[in-house]
Amino acid sequence: MPFTHLVAGIVFAAGDTVDKPTGFFGALATGAEWFIGLFNEGGGVFKSLVIGIVPTLIVLLTAVNALIRMIGPEKSDKLGEMAARPGIQWYPVRYLVLPVLSVFFLTNPMAYTMGRFLPERYKPAFYDSAVSYVHPITGIFPHANPGELFVYYGIAHGIQKLGLGLGDLAVRYLLVGMVVILLRGVITELITARMLAKRSTQEEAAA
Amino acid sequence: MSSTTASSGMGGINKLLVTVGKSVGGVVGALYQSGRDAVDTVIRNILPFMAFISVLIGIILKTGFGNWLAHLITPLAGNLIGLLAISIFCAIPVLSPVLGPGAVIAQVVGTLLGLNFAKGDIAPQYALPALFAINPQVGCDFIPVGLALGEAEPETVEVGVPAVLISRLITGPLSVVIAWVASFGLYSSN
Repeated sequence: MPFTHLVAGIVFAAGDTVDKPTGFFGALATGAEWFIGLFNEGGGVFKSLVIGIVPTLIVLLTAVNALIRMIGPEKSDKLGEMAARPGIQWYPVRYLVLPVLSVFFLTNPMAYTMGRFLPERYKPAFYDSAVSYVHPITGIFPHANPGELFVYYGIAHGIQKLGLGLGDLAVRYLLVGMVVILLRGVITELITARMLAKRSTQEEAAA
Repeated sequence: MSSTTASSGMGGINKLLVTVGKSVGGVVGALYQSGRDAVDTVIRNILPFMAFISVLIGIILKTGFGNWLAHLITPLAGNLIGLLAISIFCAIPVLSPVLGPGAVIAQVVGTLLGLNFAKGDIAPQYALPALFAINPQVGCDFIPVGLALGEAEPETVEVGVPAVLISRLITGPLSVVIAWVASFGLYSSN
């Protein structure tokens, strides 16, 4: 039965329109088309991502990596020593300047090594602050965290498809990120101090 | 007398040439090595993730799962209350370390939200608060390693892990509010 349909299909193939294949083979053909369609769709997405993102990204990564190579990341060590100082005026250095520069120059995950300059009680807060900046920075400086770009790129790609510019979003993401990491550092430092105090009183009670 | 000045002049030129050659070589070398690193990063980290994301999006778009998902996500991501709910959910101390690794969840959710932005289901000015709402768990899986990289004592790690996790419950939603305030005037028509 299906074969007559096939023959009919061949005979009428010369005509202007071809009937949709029916029967068992027809279903198979439709299924195959749908199956390959899944990956055609995915291929289209892949193409738009590669063409839209990769060329600029490679050039940008090259330029920034070269800049970092020429400046030398060891310059940031001095800043680490400054950030260890107590007092409220050093909070922005510890939880804003130091994390931002560490993430920019040392990138994820080596940025967290800058915590070694700080006293133990500031280390969790510094980590919290630095790790929270590895995504806001990718909007403009993707070299800092190239493995996790799609937190920003995923949403940015959607905005781009609307025909809107990304500069405004990237800059705001960068700046709001700075405010958030400063707050995060201060709040985590307070919580750490609380927990350390609680722990020492418990140890005294136990002793 | 005249020959010595000539030779010292030649020496000066030589020195200059060597210095210029060395510094140009240094710059070119740094650029070339950086180019190699950049291409390497793209091939090892970025293209594989793009392939993964493309398969996922292709299937989601073609099967119509995307529309179903949009109905689920849009009422959450299109307003401040919904975004706060997402951020609190992601910041729950038991869940945040599970959601963290490699930021894979945040990246997939970011891409899905991107689809909804592209279709116009969610107003574009919510892009900024959404970026923070899907990401309060950032690095929560990595706290002990991150602290070890900073040469922290084991006692600090013991206190630091819960301190960061608890802090995220406060700072996660707070970051969404800050981003929401900062998003005024972003992509607005007037």
